[in-house]
Amino acid sequence: MATHYLVKRFGQAVLTLVATVTLSFFLYHAMPGSPAESLKNVILSQAATGGTTVDIERLNQLVALYTNVQPDQPLYVQFYQYFSSIILEQDLGTSIYESKPVTTLIFERIPWSMFISVYAMVIGYSLSILIGAVMAFKEKSRFDSVSSSILIALNSIPYYIVGILLIYFLAIQNSWFPYGGRVSSSVTAGFNIPFMQSIVYHAALPVLSMSMLGLGGALTMRGNSVRILGEDYLRVAQLRGLRDSRIATQYVGRNAILPMYTQFMIGIAGIFSSAVIVEQIFSYPGVGLLMYSAIQTQDYPLLMGSLIMFTTVTVIAIFIADITYGFVDPRISAGGDNE
Amino acid sequence: MSTSDRIFEVRNLDVSFELNRGASRVVRDVDMDIYREETLGIVGESGSGKSMLASSLLNAVVEPGICSGEVTYYPRNGEPVSVLELSEAELKRFRWEQVAMVFQGAMSSFNPVMRVRTHFRETLQDHNRDIPAGMDRARSLLESVYLDPDRVLSAYPHELSGGMKQRALIALSLILEPEVLVMDEPTAALDLLMQRSIVSLLDELQAEHDLTIIFITHDLPLLTKIADRLTVMYAFGLIESGTVDEILYNSSHPYTRALLAATPDLDVPVDEMHAIEGSKPDPVDRISGCSYHPRCPMADMHCENNDPPMEQISSTHRAACFYHEEAAEAIPLRGDGNNPKQKGAVHE
Repeated sequence: MATHYLVKRFGQAVLTLVATVTLSFFLYHAMPGSPAESLKNVILSQAATGGTTVDIERLNQLVALYTNVQPDQPLYVQFYQYFSSIILEQDLGTSIYESKPVTTLIFERIPWSMFISVYAMVIGYSLSILIGAVMAFKEKSRFDSVSSSILIALNSIPYYIVGILLIYFLAIQNSWFPYGGRVSSSVTAGFNIPFMQSIVYHAALPVLSMSMLGLGGALTMRGNSVRILGEDYLRVAQLRGLRDSRIATQYVGRNAILPMYTQFMIGIAGIFSSAVIVEQIFSYPGVGLLMYSAIQTQDYPLLMGSLIMFTTVTVIAIFIADITYGFVDPRISAGGDNE
Repeated sequence: MSTSDRIFEVRNLDVSFELNRGASRVVRDVDMDIYREETLGIVGESGSGKSMLASSLLNAVVEPGICSGEVTYYPRNGEPVSVLELSEAELKRFRWEQVAMVFQGAMSSFNPVMRVRTHFRETLQDHNRDIPAGMDRARSLLESVYLDPDRVLSAYPHELSGGMKQRALIALSLILEPEVLVMDEPTAALDLLMQRSIVSLLDELQAEHDLTIIFITHDLPLLTKIADRLTVMYAFGLIESGTVDEILYNSSHPYTRALLAATPDLDVPVDEMHAIEGSKPDPVDRISGCSYHPRCPMADMHCENNDPPMEQISSTHRAACFYHEEAAEAIPLRGDGNNPKQKGAVHE
């Protein structure tokens, strides 16, 4: 039963991935000036400025080399070629401008994006769980109403506005923090304290503004906790004379955090899309910035590649959430037997 | 059953909630004695204050309710305890060690993400009991409520049926060997067979563990099977109390008699059953005089203006009615005075 469930979930994940890749491939081709078209234009204009001419065959070869696609083939053949080289050779094509394989470019930058987004999520969600729990315990107090208002305000202001304000006040006006980059150029890279300090120093503002995204969870946490404070089992726990700390963690906390677990995992998707904007604001060279510049330069192979990367990470996160939920909540057992 | 053998003494108990439209008094001036090792049944319609009365025995009235008056608990050995004056820490020890409570909605009385075993273990742990010995006791308790200890202990709450959960909760309530078990509609959500089996189970457990049981329900026929004494609540106060026989065959308050006449019974033709006219009073806008006078066929000016005190009818029987002597005549019970067999039917 459990393996059946696992296989089913895995199949769904793979299907989602394939569907996303297919959809974005055809959508890109439906855009006016397809990837191949625009690449052709780029090469032709380069050739024109260089004063040389390129014959059609040579042009198609170049396009095929860069994008994994043979532009004169019908669309479904192009798709087949693109797709099979992803599967068989883990090849996402070559960036048009950087002249490097897309995979290399992405893998160079993924650790940096992961670094800020994981910290932003962990900080955002931990804070929101804490604030939400305190708000619920002090329901209807001044603290509750004040922080509710602040949280609703923060939720309504997009995180990138917060990012811009942070840059303005903390980096430009007061120069407490750098307003760009991921590490100071004056320190030597490696496993040493100044280097690591510099990384944290540069990541502080992006992490801070991205964690605003997770803070909205505080209101969810508050709602969940208030609901559980009214549950029968909580009253029975109090009547049983259990310790307050146990009631707070095992009874209220655990049951209130449960629904947020999936939300947290799905939030990974949101954090990547927001990385695009945050990294742009803080000129933080992560995957987000890479994707942003790919859009601007119409670097289609790179764009497709980072999109596939984002989708994969999101689908994997949801898959993990799915199969681990049974361990966190016994009522949703994976497959419905032993646990 | 002498007065010296009291386990609970309740005096002038009031429970009120502050609402926007005024204070809502949901328990009103209750005086009550509960005797050691008896089964006291508290009966009354929905919203008559039964559950609030029960909760105040553990000083567990939900926020923001305010409890005032005196609730004195007499332990088997040692000084009397004034329950309403206990500190938070003292309350934590008092609850479940002296008085345990199984209440309405036992279906959701277990934490859904914890195994049943953990519920027993944490209760023992937080009351500083010896865990291995306590878990052995848990097993024997579960056996005595006809559950398979291994299966139930390692199960999650959602894996048990309603009746099993109810019985597991009764076992859990006895884990610290309390003196008193307060049961607030413990059978409300169960089918008839399960109700009956739990009732007979309580009888056995009571004998085995020298328990005092306070059983709250609106199911009068069920109470007559297990209770030694009955107390009837109406409009947030007690209106009559006595032994089961006194209440069933010789009730002296018009409301009790009307309640008995309204109890459905298969042996009685439908046209002999009588609903009580009118609706129950509001906890905020207190009516003057006897709280039952708007619905009482016997009420007169005197009832409208004066609140009747509890009057002693026999050494065990009290009723709050000016006309308790005439009530039997004014409101006949089913088959009153002609057919003893039908009296038996009520009892059944």
